[in-house]
Amino acid sequence: MNSLPADIGGPGLYAVEFGDIVNYFTPYTAVLFVFALVFTALAIASRPERQVDIIFGGDGYYTKDIEPAKLGFQRFMAIACGLATLGAVVSGDVFNFTLFTSMVGITNIGIVAAYTNRHVLNAAFQYGIVAMIATVPLFGGAAIILATTGTLSMWELFGPAIAVPLIAKAFLILGVMGEGMAPFYVAKAEITRAPGAPYVLMIHVSSLLLFLRVTEIVLSM
Amino acid sequence: MKPEGQGSLISRISRELSNYDYLAAVYALLVIVVTIVGVLTLPFLSYEDGQIYGKHIDRQSPLDPYDRGGTPFNATIVHAQYPENSPTLGYVTAYLTPLSQFFADTTQHLGTTIVAHPGGIIDEILYNTRGLDTVVESSILFVAFAIAAYLFRRGAV
Repeated sequence: MNSLPADIGGPGLYAVEFGDIVNYFTPYTAVLFVFALVFTALAIASRPERQVDIIFGGDGYYTKDIEPAKLGFQRFMAIACGLATLGAVVSGDVFNFTLFTSMVGITNIGIVAAYTNRHVLNAAFQYGIVAMIATVPLFGGAAIILATTGTLSMWELFGPAIAVPLIAKAFLILGVMGEGMAPFYVAKAEITRAPGAPYVLMIHVSSLLLFLRVTEIVLSM
Repeated sequence: MKPEGQGSLISRISRELSNYDYLAAVYALLVIVVTIVGVLTLPFLSYEDGQIYGKHIDRQSPLDPYDRGGTPFNATIVHAQYPENSPTLGYVTAYLTPLSQFFADTTQHLGTTIVAHPGGIIDEILYNTRGLDTVVESSILFVAFAIAAYLFRRGAV
């Protein structure tokens, strides 16, 4: 078996082989994996939050009716998003990573698309367009990497022998930005007004973990 | 405190960015800038000749563009990044079911329907060495259909 290069991710701990696609754990990706696992378990186990609106300037408040049965689809999408995040943070293959990333983007849209709040849907619409545009730089980056280096395996790309062009890295980061929406907190602030906290929070967790992972990939290449 | 929209340059940019209606436009601008840089640096990129997933296009073959050569039940040479992970690589890539063989003998377009008939072309790069990619692609399609079905059944808001 190939030995892992000593890299910013730390020494390799464990590898899961799927043919040419080798998922591997380093201390760095293992931490990300555990985070994603914990939040996926939370999405599976927890009941949705109950929101309380306080009337400004008085003692009155009203609680919103949240029926867990109506949030079944959000829970399904949150679990799918967690599983996609799990796959993305331990992936050892650039194209496999981009596929998991675009799956995270689609499940994020699924989480927010199921709400009926107009503000949330307006923000989700803009986010959906960004996620769709983002597939072009995302897969374009992977395609440029394959064309200029001849391989997609991260173990090969992380080695000193192969130089990955800067533009491919830029495309990759841009694609993850759009899919995970890491820097676009404007739409996220609107989206989190939706009820059902553990499911909506999966959007934040997945984009944060994806961005940490792509940072490691780009710095290592 | 200056009135709305008349602060410093940074506060004006910040105020524009806080409107999520501009989100797609801002992102598209980023993509355009990086793409222009990419087009300008394109002459400095060189195509790597030693491709791990090399492709030979043979327009005369009915299996085009998935013709990997070889005969069934013999080991066909299929390059892999980690051959030790795929010990049986190359044994089924040339196999066609009788129905697929019939299509391959009678038409020139079997390669365009890689999975659209029983058997199909069992491309080992798609289904063996890079099989996890195919699984994830199907999962993405499944999630997208699930969202569409949910929204369709929910009806108008």
